[in-house]
Amino acid sequence: MNQRAPVETTFESISPAEFFYRNRQLAGFGNTSQAIYSAVRELVENSLDSCDDAQRLPLIEVQVMSEGGDIIRVCVSDNGTGVPDAHVPQAFAKILYGSKFHNRQRRGTFGLGVTMAVLYGQITTDSPVLVHTKCPDSQGMEYALFIDVETNQPIIESSCSRDRDSDGTSVTLRLRGDLKRAQERILEYLRLTTISTPQAQFLLKTDNAESITFGRWSNSVPSPILTSNPHPRAADLELLRRLAQHNGDKRLQDFLVDSFQKVGTKTSGRFLKFVGFNPTRKVNTLTRDDLSRISSALRKFDGFESPDHKSLSPIGEEDFLVGIRSVFNISSHYYSDRGPSEWQGNPFIIEGVLATGDDFPRSDIPTLYRFANRVPLLYDSSEDVLTKTLKRVNWERYSVDSSVPAALFLHLCSTRVPYKAAGKQSIDTIPEIEAEVVSLLRDLGRRLGRTMRKSEKSLREGKKMREYAKSFRHLAKFGAELAGVDEVPDTNRLVKQLFEVSLDE
Amino acid sequence: MNEGEQAQLKLTELGKHILDPILENKFPVIDVPDRNTSNIVYEAQRNRFVLGASKNIRDSSNINHIRSFTQLAWVASYSKQLLKASRTSSLRDLYYSSEAFGVSFKDQAESDRIVTDLESVTGLPRESFGIFPDEHSSIYGELIMRYTVPDYNGREIDLTISPDGLPIGPAIMTAEPVRTNAEIVLAVESGGMFSRLIETKAWQRFKAVLIQLGGQPPRATRSLIRTLHKELDLPVYLFTDGDPWGMHIARVIMSGSANSAHIDGLTTPEAKWIGVTPQDIEQYSLPTDKLNDADLKRLDELSRDVRYSDSEWQHHIEGFRRLRTKAEQQAFSRYGMDFVVDTYLSDKIA
Repeated sequence: MNQRAPVETTFESISPAEFFYRNRQLAGFGNTSQAIYSAVRELVENSLDSCDDAQRLPLIEVQVMSEGGDIIRVCVSDNGTGVPDAHVPQAFAKILYGSKFHNRQRRGTFGLGVTMAVLYGQITTDSPVLVHTKCPDSQGMEYALFIDVETNQPIIESSCSRDRDSDGTSVTLRLRGDLKRAQERILEYLRLTTISTPQAQFLLKTDNAESITFGRWSNSVPSPILTSNPHPRAADLELLRRLAQHNGDKRLQDFLVDSFQKVGTKTSGRFLKFVGFNPTRKVNTLTRDDLSRISSALRKFDGFESPDHKSLSPIGEEDFLVGIRSVFNISSHYYSDRGPSEWQGNPFIIEGVLATGDDFPRSDIPTLYRFANRVPLLYDSSEDVLTKTLKRVNWERYSVDSSVPAALFLHLCSTRVPYKAAGKQSIDTIPEIEAEVVSLLRDLGRRLGRTMRKSEKSLREGKKMREYAKSFRHLAKFGAELAGVDEVPDTNRLVKQLFEVSLDE
Repeated sequence: MNEGEQAQLKLTELGKHILDPILENKFPVIDVPDRNTSNIVYEAQRNRFVLGASKNIRDSSNINHIRSFTQLAWVASYSKQLLKASRTSSLRDLYYSSEAFGVSFKDQAESDRIVTDLESVTGLPRESFGIFPDEHSSIYGELIMRYTVPDYNGREIDLTISPDGLPIGPAIMTAEPVRTNAEIVLAVESGGMFSRLIETKAWQRFKAVLIQLGGQPPRATRSLIRTLHKELDLPVYLFTDGDPWGMHIARVIMSGSANSAHIDGLTTPEAKWIGVTPQDIEQYSLPTDKLNDADLKRLDELSRDVRYSDSEWQHHIEGFRRLRTKAEQQAFSRYGMDFVVDTYLSDKIA
């Protein structure tokens, strides 16, 4: 028997660019219609984040134009902070490079989205990304960039000074895609984005169509979102080790107070007593074992307060309702929120609006609109924790049935949204989040149910009165007929008397 | 004052009773005699059962009363139109007419009940208002009646005119007996027995006016039986199935039903129930069925009913309870076609 030659195993590392190039479906660039939608979405989200930083009302222009065949030019232009010259090449042409790794709520998370769009454009049309940006301290610069996939480094095709009227960034990409199929999604995405960011105004220009304006429904700029220290329950061994390295001279107690939110001297003291460490011990004397013990104790100790909400930016009742009312015909609505709570130390707030109105389909359960960190989620809803939780609630109990057109708008904001994949379309099932969503849904359901029952009751009362009035009118008429009297007396006064009393009860 | 004028007057009174308070900005209220069996009492003077003193109040300011009050007013105004136009209406017609006037009834049972309310309130039978039941019994025999209804007024009719018998409708009910060769009235429960008695000429043999009751007979039939008894002085014999239900048919003809205890002129207290009695079942060895639960329950109810309080009726009830069986009129057929006429009825009507 011939012995087969063993297959040679070769070892190599690949760059992040290479990895995502090979696995582009992970980032939402799996097919041609999704690619255009994802590109628009990533650019718009960056623009909105940038406007948040600038504390400005976002004005964003989106152009999606065919350039013959299936080549589509996507251009998104904003009035945000602009990108400092030094960072432009890396920010747009290096995968996993970005400004979004801080501990605060952002729309973008991975430093991946826009560069994936750039990469996809480069692969499908062999054209560079054009970035025209202006910061307060510059006149404006324009770059044409490629990504070197093998090394994950930007290639600057060209760069030159080019004036821009005001601060902001315009990014232009060429990519192959199916515009027809993407168009509906893009419209829906922008429409819903004006609900989660009612301060924003969008101008959309597509082929052979007049430009469409979405928003703005609110003129209040959300307060700035601040970076905060991690919550102690977020302290896994890796994080704790890194923090310890930077704070070697500190005493253990001070180290905890300085490194984490919601930890004061008192809490710190109590915790160290709980875990059995001397508060005055220097951090650089801790062994790996010590750190491991502290790390697991941090996550177990129940004496920490709920996390800080400064790093979060919920939409808020007023803005959320303004947005929903502007986009849909609403007959009634209820707002509720839960949190801040934390999952693995990541603070989160969940807020929701349960609305009724003829724009929504009639069904046994409300139609769900999902938002995460102010971004509407359009794909993969069935896998989402919000969808699953919605289905778990017995809506019949709250008088929601197919006779009531209802919709539920849920917004999860967190310093880290547990997306199932880098495409950021569905939220993973995290027990802490699920529990808060259930409570929120029940609260909204109860409030809707209460009103429904009340309005059913007043409807019934009104119907009763109309029926009574009719009967009594007939009684008078028949009475007159029997008595041989031609003129039927007016009965309204008696009916009014009767119901003024009982309706006021 | 004739019956029609009396009814008209009552309706006008009712109208004023409704209208006057409204003109004074008050809510009309009306009392309707309570027709519950617990409110039935025996009145010796008239030798029949009548309604007691208990009343139901319909207050038009009560949201739960307005509907039936309005229905009552409508039935009354509908009656007024019937009387004005010398027309009649069946209970079913009345039920269907209501919709045209914006008055609604759940079902015919409800409109029938309101018609009975009108009777209780006015003390007049529905027939006085031109309202008649839908079902018909039949009559046959050597008897001449004279119609009083419009178009037929004054015409005479011989009740042997049809071998099927003549349906007892509004016209016959209000007709006047003129003359007869008959000496008795024989009312039988089933159509089959009625036909048998016509075919075998039993009516000649017993000199009987035959009446088919068809189960619990409509009031027109009861009223006619009473008329024949009073006007022609004919004794009345009642021949029903031998079970609690048959017995009660006879008892209602004699003493009245709960539903019409408010109406005069329906009962024939002197009528005689000839059977089938429990004793007959034994004596003639009739083929029987077992009494079922519904039968036994009915016996319990009847044993407590004021109309069955005297010993003769208690005796019958005891008889059924003892035998725990029942027999139909047709049971006599086991002894041949003619047995019931030749033997049984001969025994009973002798």
